[in-house]
Amino acid sequence: MVIEVNNVSKEFVSPKKYPGLKGAIKGLFSNEKVRKMAVDDISFSIEEGEIVGYIGSNGAGKSTTIKMMTGILTPTSGQCLIRGIDPSKERKKNAQNIGVVFGQRTQLWWDLPLSESFSILKEIYNVSDEDYESQMKFLNEVLELEEFWTRPVRNLSLGQRMRADLGAALLHNPKVLYLDEPTIGLDLVVKDNIRKAIREINQKYKTTVILTTHDIEDIEELCSRIIIIDDGKKIYDGSLENLKEKYGVTRKVTMEVKNLKEALQVDLSSDLNVSKEAYEVTTDKATNSVEVTFDKHCLSISDVIAQYMKRTEVKDIQIQETELSEIVKEIYNHGMEKETKQSEEGMVS
Amino acid sequence: MKELKRYGRLYKVFVAQFFKYLVQSKADFFIGLMGFFLTQAAGIAFLYLVFEQIPTLADWTLPQLIFIYGFAQIPRGIDHLFTDNIWMVAWWYVVNGQFDRYMLRPMNLFFQVICEKLQPDALGELMVGILLLIISLSNGVITVSGTKILLFIISMIAGAVIYTSVKLLFASFAFWMKVSGPVLYTAYQLADFAKYPTEIYAKGIRFMITWIIPFGFVAYLPASYFLKPGVSAWSTIGVECVLAVVFFAIAYGVFHFGTRAYESAGN
Amino acid sequence: MKKGRWRIYLPFTLNEIKSNLAYKGSFYLFILCSCFGAFISYYLWMAIYGSSETGVLGGLTRNEMILYVFMTYVTSNIVNVGVVGYIENDVREGAVVMNLIKPIDYRLSLISKALGVVVYRFLAPSIFVWIGLEIYKVTVLGMKVVSVKDALLYLLSAFFSVLIYQLFDFCFGLMAFVTTYMFGLKMAKNALVGFLTGQLIPISFFPEVFQKVFDFLPFSSMIYTPVMVYLGKYSGEALAAVLLRQVFWIVLLYVLGTFLWQKITKRLIVLGG
Repeated sequence: MVIEVNNVSKEFVSPKKYPGLKGAIKGLFSNEKVRKMAVDDISFSIEEGEIVGYIGSNGAGKSTTIKMMTGILTPTSGQCLIRGIDPSKERKKNAQNIGVVFGQRTQLWWDLPLSESFSILKEIYNVSDEDYESQMKFLNEVLELEEFWTRPVRNLSLGQRMRADLGAALLHNPKVLYLDEPTIGLDLVVKDNIRKAIREINQKYKTTVILTTHDIEDIEELCSRIIIIDDGKKIYDGSLENLKEKYGVTRKVTMEVKNLKEALQVDLSSDLNVSKEAYEVTTDKATNSVEVTFDKHCLSISDVIAQYMKRTEVKDIQIQETELSEIVKEIYNHGMEKETKQSEEGMVS
Repeated sequence: MKELKRYGRLYKVFVAQFFKYLVQSKADFFIGLMGFFLTQAAGIAFLYLVFEQIPTLADWTLPQLIFIYGFAQIPRGIDHLFTDNIWMVAWWYVVNGQFDRYMLRPMNLFFQVICEKLQPDALGELMVGILLLIISLSNGVITVSGTKILLFIISMIAGAVIYTSVKLLFASFAFWMKVSGPVLYTAYQLADFAKYPTEIYAKGIRFMITWIIPFGFVAYLPASYFLKPGVSAWSTIGVECVLAVVFFAIAYGVFHFGTRAYESAGN
Repeated sequence: MKKGRWRIYLPFTLNEIKSNLAYKGSFYLFILCSCFGAFISYYLWMAIYGSSETGVLGGLTRNEMILYVFMTYVTSNIVNVGVVGYIENDVREGAVVMNLIKPIDYRLSLISKALGVVVYRFLAPSIFVWIGLEIYKVTVLGMKVVSVKDALLYLLSAFFSVLIYQLFDFCFGLMAFVTTYMFGLKMAKNALVGFLTGQLIPISFFPEVFQKVFDFLPFSSMIYTPVMVYLGKYSGEALAAVLLRQVFWIVLLYVLGTFLWQKITKRLIVLGG
């Protein structure tokens, strides 16, 4: 195991704030504290070469977990082991093994040309001249840093800065790469390039990648496994397919028909003997199409299509699974049932 | 040893940057220099105006006071030149989470903080200090000898370490308070007391700036060794050196503890 | 000016009071820290008077000097509240042009904010130090409490000082449009202001020639004047003259600020910024 996170928790304590001018005066004399469990007893382990998506809504505790794994924060209880090293005990040793990119904030020197930042990093990570040359060659291929090599970081566009930051995190060829929102605020082309670069690095060096993101596409394109966290607690850990299989239970069939009136005579509840709650039908006159959304456990796609084909001529059929983003949204909004959470954990560990 | 070389190489990169910066922004540099000159000139002009009215101040002559004044500037300038970035920890780096980046790198945290910035304004402080020393020396306040030069250099270094320690100690409070700039500023301002002979102050204040936050040992007390016959080097510069070591150890310990309590910034 | 027009600037003032109160740690420390200078001055002057053969220096007795030191502290606390910090911030964040679009006067909005700080500093610690000083005066120095008339005249003069300083600071702050390096300039300004306003040493200590020159500068009107008014050093025509001089500086600096601001905004509109 490259990464082992064992029962890690982090609690933050902050002074209580009161609203308004009166509140400000009251605050002067008050000493009340607010406690918050940002991460609550989380455990998981990750193998070499995995790309894991670590997702959750804002304030769920994603960044806090990453910060504990990278050695920025010391856990309140529990332990992280990164290649056998506890970052809160051996920060420097761990730092040599990891690379970190925070999408929201650069780690480069704002006023220095990018080239200078890299020569400083070369010294910091003790990279030999030969390694530096070969790694820079590779990074230039995948990230095209040469374009803005001599410019100060503050003059880079967001996309360039992200490429630069990613390059800087990879200069010493770390075994583990943490990416906190690496595509935030980027346009589609740049996002695509960044993802491609991450994939290439993962393939070439078997780098383990942990990625937090709000962009579902990042996950669909990069991650074989996802961990979902909500309110500091782990609520899902498993493969993407599994998540879709379990929670993506609705299907949507869109059929373009010759005659809409004929199509509307279909009554799935009586024809197939299911309850009316199990499905929903909408029609679109402009495109002459019928859209049926249903629970895949109650109805099968073939039955639904067959019913319609009996009554009218169907010209075109589209079948859609639930989007991952909708599943995730659903999970954020309602959390998961207690049972499913436990069974999931049982399955993975 | 290899480790030390690595730190040395890194420092060299930043020093090179510093000189590049100096060449590029001469105008800023001179504005800063002017600011320092005016600030110190006002302090000296004050003494001149006062000495128009009185012959000596608590048995000190004007050139002697100028010597103390200049003497106080040099350790302050040295510390300012090399460790100015500590202020940023107190004001910004902890509260906005920029301290993260130091935590992510395989190097000593204190070294990372101070190596990033050399403060050109400090050169103004150093120049004023040296200028004032020359003025007072030309008035014959002390006789120069080999021992005195050596002790002077030692005192300057120990004084700078005391300044750094006070800064590091109070900046470290930011790890718990988020922003410790005001506390640090307050402690740092105490240094102004040490520009004058500490015997003019009430006992409580004297105790405070001698033993709690030992700025008295940065300026007035070691300076008095050079100015007054019969003051022993041990009880002034010797104690200064011991205090420098003790205070740095305390400050560094608190800083180290603080980094473990560091909470980064919530998103 | 109609009443309603002033009201739009009131939130600036209130907000600033609020945000000052929000940092309670710095609140207490600020009070402590700002006292240091006063105490250094106090002990220094006591040593100076102790070394002097005559009891009167620069026209002030030892007791008067004590009052001078602490009233200078009370006064400078509320007077040395600048607007340059706000301007610097707005320039750095490119917010000045945004302010040009809004239907408010930029300078007035800054001064309203600064007045928030003034109010806050007057309540803590200036008024308490002042009360403490009056008690000290009666119990230790054996002097009389300040008369209502002198107190009111002092407050009037100090209010003029506040305006003079802020109008001056606005003109100075416009330098932020010219240079990005305000740190050195601010330090130079603070040194000059500290010296020329009488904060460091009463103007009466300067040689005659200098005092004449200072009459033509706005600085002595910022601190020295209200403190001397408090000490009752002016009466009759002389009193009217120093107060009128303060009003004169308010008007002159207001006009100068308007003129400079017009120049700057013209350039801003042309260059964008």
